[in-house]
Amino acid sequence: MSAGGRRGDAWQHRFPGFSVVGQSQHWDEATRKVVLARLEPPKPITSLPEEVRPAGVALVAQLVAVDADFAFALLSSIDARLAANETDGWHYDDMPIDHDAWKRSLAGLDEDATRSTGHPFAELTEDEQHEMLECLRTSSAHSWHGMPPARIWNLWTRYVCTAYYAHPSAWDEMGFPGPAYPRGYKNRGVDAREPFEVADRQPHMDPTVSSAP
Amino acid sequence: MSSLRAVRERNESAWLIPSDQRRVNAALRDSMRHYDESEEVDLVVVGCGAGGSTLMQRMARHGWKIVGFDAGPFWDPEHDWVSDEAGSHTLYWTDPRTIGGADPVPLGSNNSGRGVGGSMVHYAGYTPRFHPSDFATATNDGVGADWPFDYDALESYYELIEQELPVAGQDWPWGRPHSYPQTAHPVGGNGELFQRGAAALGIETRVGPVAISNGRFGHRPHCIYRGFCLQGCKVNAKASPLITHLPDALAHGVEIRPDTMVTRIGFDERTGRATGVHFIRESEGVERFQPARMVAVAGYSIETPRLLLNSATDRRFPDGMLNDHDLVGRYLMVQGAPQTAARFDAEVRMYKAPPPEVSSEAFYETDPTKPYKRGFSIQTVSPLPITWAEHVSAQGDWGRDLREKMSDYVHWATLGALCELLPQPDNRVTLSEEKDRFGLPVAHFAYTQCENDKQLIEAAGTAMTHILHAAGGTDAITFQRYAHLVGGARMGRTAEDGVVDGDCRAFAVPNLMITDGSVLPTQGSANPALTIMAVAARAADRLAARS
Repeated sequence: MSAGGRRGDAWQHRFPGFSVVGQSQHWDEATRKVVLARLEPPKPITSLPEEVRPAGVALVAQLVAVDADFAFALLSSIDARLAANETDGWHYDDMPIDHDAWKRSLAGLDEDATRSTGHPFAELTEDEQHEMLECLRTSSAHSWHGMPPARIWNLWTRYVCTAYYAHPSAWDEMGFPGPAYPRGYKNRGVDAREPFEVADRQPHMDPTVSSAP
Repeated sequence: MSSLRAVRERNESAWLIPSDQRRVNAALRDSMRHYDESEEVDLVVVGCGAGGSTLMQRMARHGWKIVGFDAGPFWDPEHDWVSDEAGSHTLYWTDPRTIGGADPVPLGSNNSGRGVGGSMVHYAGYTPRFHPSDFATATNDGVGADWPFDYDALESYYELIEQELPVAGQDWPWGRPHSYPQTAHPVGGNGELFQRGAAALGIETRVGPVAISNGRFGHRPHCIYRGFCLQGCKVNAKASPLITHLPDALAHGVEIRPDTMVTRIGFDERTGRATGVHFIRESEGVERFQPARMVAVAGYSIETPRLLLNSATDRRFPDGMLNDHDLVGRYLMVQGAPQTAARFDAEVRMYKAPPPEVSSEAFYETDPTKPYKRGFSIQTVSPLPITWAEHVSAQGDWGRDLREKMSDYVHWATLGALCELLPQPDNRVTLSEEKDRFGLPVAHFAYTQCENDKQLIEAAGTAMTHILHAAGGTDAITFQRYAHLVGGARMGRTAEDGVVDGDCRAFAVPNLMITDGSVLPTQGSANPALTIMAVAARAADRLAARS
């Protein structure tokens, strides 16, 4: 799998030449096995029902701005968690268990999209999808398809961010070297780097300013 | 060093670990004693975390026959743990639990361990003591509760445990001033900025206290500053009972039964005594029984009340074991733990060095000029990418904005506060309608903040923002979260205000103890691990003296 996302965004190239996987010979065996497995072709989705999968792929693509192939891989890893009931160890008492909440919320996206446009969520334009999701994120309604919208947003972003930021290509993008055993770090402190770390070439590109609306 | 010899003489754990790259003494585990289920052992302990393991190690030294149960694995750090966030989910209690109330508290990776070593396997490693004031907040501040004993009763146990972990840090000026057995670690970028900002404002900080060995300790190696403390220390540098107390316990005849869920406490309605525990091995799925002369529950603040409630009996305890006064599950506490981060043009790379580096307890005590009682502490925390994404997405960013802000990761420094939220009766564990895979009702945890809690959380966020700005940071963001669990089966002077007494003995059943964080009546603004161990070590001494 390669990194998804729209090309040409300057923030994707802040750490030129930095490759986490390129350092994998320095990792311990147990970690190498777990992390490199994420680069394998995605496993088929088995737990989420077929009819909600296109909405699932489109949702993931939107939430972390990746292309459809990468979004499928991320959804596949989420599906594997749901199949194994590998949750975060809790769910809100006004929400169903995570698997059912995913299933119902993806069906809800399709239902809403179909009602307003005649097409399922995955067939909307990217802008239409974005608008629908932003509406849901900022909704003050108590219930959306029987579930509080804020809780749904929390569920989606938790699972999707965990899947995306577990991927070495995401670490490349942020200059994070990933696994660090048994090598560890020798050069700690402000503006200190290891030989294998790469300096940010746009240290003044403060995204909290540049992307402010 | 004579003090090191004294440690080894009372707890040889650090010398029972192999001195090479292997992290587990296989021979010690292979030769572990096994007790027959027809044999009544002296003690069964439910839960092999901070409290349970300390009790076992101490009582094994008195010759007691002990079996320790844990729902999770008997870890091998080299093979079972990874230097990776997502790959570490097996360290957490991820069996189902439900949360509610006005301010629900997420569980799992946030505060709940699973497996031998307990939550200390994935805690950051901070081991501050409580302050003397924490033991009498009701008397001094009119909030919270008084403990059945004071700081003086615990002080010598703090010293013993600090030597056994061991703890590294600068001389401590707060609470009852004290020093640590090891000198402080060098700090990374995050710690440096905390020190810089605090110094500019005249706020005192200190490096530590962390239970991460600074230098070789016994056969345990030095920390390599890789930053994955919350994912389990593959190095064996960070202390958890898996390496600080259980090797010695095994060498003194303790049997550990991992991957085994205790389903209920055995009880004889005629004698009013505990008889042992019913349990199910993960690999078998059938309920068995281990008879014991004494039972200690140490499953932490969610599972301990759940086990007691699931151990209701027909006649003596229809509402749950030890629940005569409706105290089981109540007064459960979490600390308000807002995290504030700020941006620096320089590279901070906060993932380098352990997340626990520098602390301040300057705001710990009640400040009479403030509208709220009690206080908070401030510590460095260093979220790794997945946790950092949670911070950023909580600001409302998603999609392209999220990715862009995440690409700025190396420029951010993060502080965390621990706010002393007050114990309240309705913050409690009850049994849910939902069942786990063994058919047992799961825990429901309801949590709602009171007005004092909200003011403290707000004040802590403001203080951290000021510090980061004083260090030269910009764009501060605060992420609201909780940390730690204590209470839920608190100790008291009488049966009307506690489930157990100051020696961790149940008021209602003479041979039943609770030796974990759930007995704490207040929590201070300190990370609880050290205090949980010290309370268990004290309980063990008192038990041995009575026997």
